Amino acid sequence: MPGSATLVRNPGRSARRKLVNGVFVFFCGVATLVALIALAAILVSLVGQGVGGLDANIFKLSTPAPGSVGGLANAIVGSIMLCALAMLIALVIGILAGTWLAEYGGDGWYARIIRFVNDVLLSAPSILIGLFVYVLLVAPFHGFSGYAGAVALGIIAIPVVTRTTEDVLKLQPTALRESGIALGAPVWTTIRKILWKASLGGIVTGGLLAFARISGETAPLLFTALNNQFFSWDMSRPMANLPVVIFNFALSAYDDSRRLAWVGAILITAAVLAAQIIARILIREPRR
Amino acid sequence: MNAPTRDPLETYSAPLPPSAVKLETKNLDFFYGKNQALMGVSLPAIKNGVTALIGPSGCGKSTLLRAMNRIYALYPGQRAKGEILLDGENILDPSLDLSLLRTRIGMVFQKPTPFPMSIYDNVAFGLKLHEGMNAKQMRERVEESLRRAALWDEVKDKLNASGLSLSGGQQQRLCVARTIAVKPEVLLLDEPASALDPISTAKLEETIEQLKSDYTIVIVTHNLQQAARISDYTGFMYLGRLIEFAPTSELFTNPHAARTQDYVTGRFG
Repeated sequence: MPGSATLVRNPGRSARRKLVNGVFVFFCGVATLVALIALAAILVSLVGQGVGGLDANIFKLSTPAPGSVGGLANAIVGSIMLCALAMLIALVIGILAGTWLAEYGGDGWYARIIRFVNDVLLSAPSILIGLFVYVLLVAPFHGFSGYAGAVALGIIAIPVVTRTTEDVLKLQPTALRESGIALGAPVWTTIRKILWKASLGGIVTGGLLAFARISGETAPLLFTALNNQFFSWDMSRPMANLPVVIFNFALSAYDDSRRLAWVGAILITAAVLAAQIIARILIREPRR
Repeated sequence: MNAPTRDPLETYSAPLPPSAVKLETKNLDFFYGKNQALMGVSLPAIKNGVTALIGPSGCGKSTLLRAMNRIYALYPGQRAKGEILLDGENILDPSLDLSLLRTRIGMVFQKPTPFPMSIYDNVAFGLKLHEGMNAKQMRERVEESLRRAALWDEVKDKLNASGLSLSGGQQQRLCVARTIAVKPEVLLLDEPASALDPISTAKLEETIEQLKSDYTIVIVTHNLQQAARISDYTGFMYLGRLIEFAPTSELFTNPHAARTQDYVTGRFG
C-alpha cells in the first residue's frame, strides 16, 4: 500500500484533531497560568508588605503592646519549639506506624482499620483536633500550654508521616527485602538498616509535607498553646507562636502590628522553603 | 525422532553416592495457599559442584530454590511438606533458627539488589550481623570476597562509593560477594544473569566456575546454554515435578525422559 495515500486520506479529520489539540493545550495553559498568578500574587504582596518591616528588632524584641516598638522573638522561638516537639512526636509515631502497616500489618482487618482511620485523620479539620486536645490536655490541667500545642500539631502531622512512610516502603522491591533476609538478617534489622535507608528520601519528604502543613496551623493553637506576650522557654505555660500572632495582629487597628503580621507570614514561608532546600541537599544520593 | 515405544510420562534420576550430596530435597511438596506448586520433588545438589535447574516458566524451579533457604517462610500462605536435608539434617524442622540457616545457605536474586550503602558496607553487612570481627579482619574478608566475586580490581579504589553507582553486572557480582562474605556452604542463584548483558553474564559465569570448588551451587536458569556451560548436574522440571536429574552432558545430549528430550531440543518451552 502506498504510504502517502493512507497518511493524508482524510485531511478533514486531521485538521479537526489539530484544532481539538490546540484548544486543549490552550486551556491547560490557562489553568496553569491562573494557578501561577495566584501564587505569584501571594508572594509579591507578602514580600512587598512584609520585607520593609524585617529588621534586627524582629528577632530581638517580643511582641509589643499596641503602639509601641517590638518584634517577634517570642513567637519565633515559640513556633520553633512547638513545631520541633510536634515533628518529634509525629516522626516517631508516624514512621513506626507506617512501617508496621507496610511490613507487618499486611492486609489484615486490624491494618485495614488503622489505614482507614489514618486517612480520616489526614483530612480531619484541624480545629477539631485543637478542641480534642483542649478537652484532653488543657481543660483538665486548667491552663493553656506549649505541650498541648505541640501535641495538637503532632496529631495533625502523624497521619501525613504515616501515610508517606507506608507508601514509600511499599515501593521498595521485594527482592531488596528478601536479600537482607537471605543474608541471615532478622526482619527488623532488614527494615532498619536497608529499607529505611532506601526509603529515606520519601520519608524525609513526608516529614517536610507534615512540617509545611503544621507550620501555619492557627486554629488548633488557639485552643492549646494560645499566645504569650512575653518571651518564654517554658512549654508548660501558654506559648507565643507565629500563626496566632499573625491572626491577632492582622486584625489589629495599628499599622505597626499589621506590619509585624506580614513579617511573621514571610518568616513562616521562608522557613518552609528553607526546610525544603536543606532536606533536598541532605538526601541527595552521594554518587560518583 | 524418539522411539514410539517410549513412555511419555517417564522420569529419571541419576544415582548419586550419598557422600557426593550436600543438600537434597526428598518428596517435597510446596503450596501457595491452596495451589500446589511442587509435587514430590526429590533433587540432590552435589557437593562442590553446580546443579542447574531448567524448565519452562511456572514449572516450579524458582519455588524449589526458594524452599531451600526457607525464604518463603516470610509469607504466611506458603508452606512446604516433605524433607530438605542439609548434611542430613532436615531444615524444614520448625524449631530451626532461620537466620543461622541462611548464613549457611546464601542466595542471589534475579535482579541485582545492592543495599543503599557503600560498596564496602554492602559486603560487610552480613559480617557485622553474625561475626564479631575487628576492623582488620573485616577489611580482609571484604577484600577476599570481592576478589572471589571477580570484582575487586574494578572497585578497589572506590570502596566508599555507593553500591548503586555500579553497573548492573558489577552490582550482581557485588551481591555475590556480599553473599559469600559470610562463608555459606551452599549458594542459591535465582536466574542471576537474566538481567545482565552478555559480557557481564560471561564474567558472572566465570565467577561461578571459580566458586564451585568451595561451594555447593544451585542455579535456576532459563538459558539452556548457560546450564550446559556451567553446571555439572541438571534437573529438568515440568509442571511442578522433577522429570529428569542427570549429569549435564548426559541430560543435554542423551536424555532419558521423552519430555526432557522435547525440551532440550526446543520442541516446547
